[in-house]
Amino acid sequence: MVEDSEIRDWFRDEVLPLERPLTHFIRRNWRVEADVVDLRQDVYELAIAGARKCLPRATRAYLFVIARNHLINRAKRARLVSFELVADLESMEGYLGSFDQERQLVARDALRRVEEGLATLTPRVRQIVRLRKIYGFNTRETAHELGIGLDAVRKQTSIGMRALTDYILGADGEDAPEAVTFLRRGKGKQR
Amino acid sequence: MSRAEQAHIEAADWLIAQADGPLSPEDQARFDAWFSAFDRNKAAYWRLELGWEAADRLRLADHSCDGAVPEASRRSRLRRWVPAAIAASIALAFGVHHFAREWAASPENPARMERLSASYSTSLGERHLVGLPDGSRVQLNTQSKLRTRITDARREVWLDEGEVFFEVARRQDRPFIVHVGDRQITVLGTQFSVRRAQGEVVVAVLEGRVQLAELEGALPVRSSIISAGDIAVAAGSATLVTAHSEKNVEQALSWREGMLAFDQEPLSAIVSEFNRYNARKLVLEGQSVGTMRITGTFPSDKPEVFARLLREAYGLRVDDTEQEIRIYR
Repeated sequence: MVEDSEIRDWFRDEVLPLERPLTHFIRRNWRVEADVVDLRQDVYELAIAGARKCLPRATRAYLFVIARNHLINRAKRARLVSFELVADLESMEGYLGSFDQERQLVARDALRRVEEGLATLTPRVRQIVRLRKIYGFNTRETAHELGIGLDAVRKQTSIGMRALTDYILGADGEDAPEAVTFLRRGKGKQR
Repeated sequence: MSRAEQAHIEAADWLIAQADGPLSPEDQARFDAWFSAFDRNKAAYWRLELGWEAADRLRLADHSCDGAVPEASRRSRLRRWVPAAIAASIALAFGVHHFAREWAASPENPARMERLSASYSTSLGERHLVGLPDGSRVQLNTQSKLRTRITDARREVWLDEGEVFFEVARRQDRPFIVHVGDRQITVLGTQFSVRRAQGEVVVAVLEGRVQLAELEGALPVRSSIISAGDIAVAAGSATLVTAHSEKNVEQALSWREGMLAFDQEPLSAIVSEFNRYNARKLVLEGQSVGTMRITGTFPSDKPEVFARLLREAYGLRVDDTEQEIRIYR
């Protein structure tokens, strides 16, 4: 039984930096865009459950095999499965490439991504994130500073926190890493 | 709402609640139950925790041209020392080495010096909360003046006037130093206030420990350690540490909420405390009235409310004019 603290470190250090290619993989292999975030969350849930027995050595392969199997199971349940889908899902070498490259990318670009993510927020949410992060204000102090209610501050902070996390982890998915773009290029059955 | 969205909204609520301080035992139990119920809750929590931590990098980034805090400065007439020349002269005073290092770190960004060295002041009756670039926070009481200089190598502030409450972010290798007259206070991470008045330095420690040293020339000598619940009064070469009492410290810090709290204090002391905050002064007439002892908590900006209480509860006579409030038997 692996302790939660170990799973947490592994999840943060090794799984979350793969969010961008993982999202990309799911999106390319699943027709319903609205399901993508839920499917990714399922993969995380399955990955954590599996890691409880022992932490995987090759996280990348582990994660994408879980993702592939989960997509196949979901497709079977929905009776959507086709030979083409399964065959496509078998060819996932592109997603199993070097991991270090991505991790470095995440570290080096973190500040830039935070700043870009901040720019995508509404002015009010952006202001609240800045007060909390740069000036270290708590909920009460932020509310006092802006002359708004505590619940409004909490709600806007929540929106900012979730949107920034999506942005920082690269869940926008439009600019998948170079290493994987060759995989499905030229095939018609995307999205 | 999707499962993932639901889990993220709940995770965000918990992270926000936890950032505001320790959870109550009931909330902690609710959190534990939520956290262990589903691995997708853990995934959402860890994911947002990482993302929100990454946003801490903003603190190290340029934030001199933002809409958030100018609002604060406009409201409180907070003044910063803008001219780079002043910042540069402070930097030079503390050694060319640090100065050169900082410029090397950002050769194209002279605005950086301005952020590193800043000056804050409040006028009569004003209070102001300021976040420092290292994550520490300071709260200025009425008529106070504080200069700060926070760099990667050292954290120093100068209390020139008045009273300031410090919440110092813990940095193991980078002590936080408060210079106040001929005293120097050194901490690693803690909460305390420092007040400078009439040749005295008063230090009240709410949490952790601070080291209070007397300076001879520029060298610290005769230092004492002051712990949570202690109030130290330093004057001349004497330092008196009062009996350990967390209640007294909280009372001494009630100004942060705009209140003044007294426990069996003589009226003369209470009146001079009120007069720190208000243009309209309380004035005591006659000898005996100042020795009355009073207990209570009062809004610091409403001396007339306090005077009314003296009239109604203690039978004193009050003469209320626009300039002052005279109190006599």
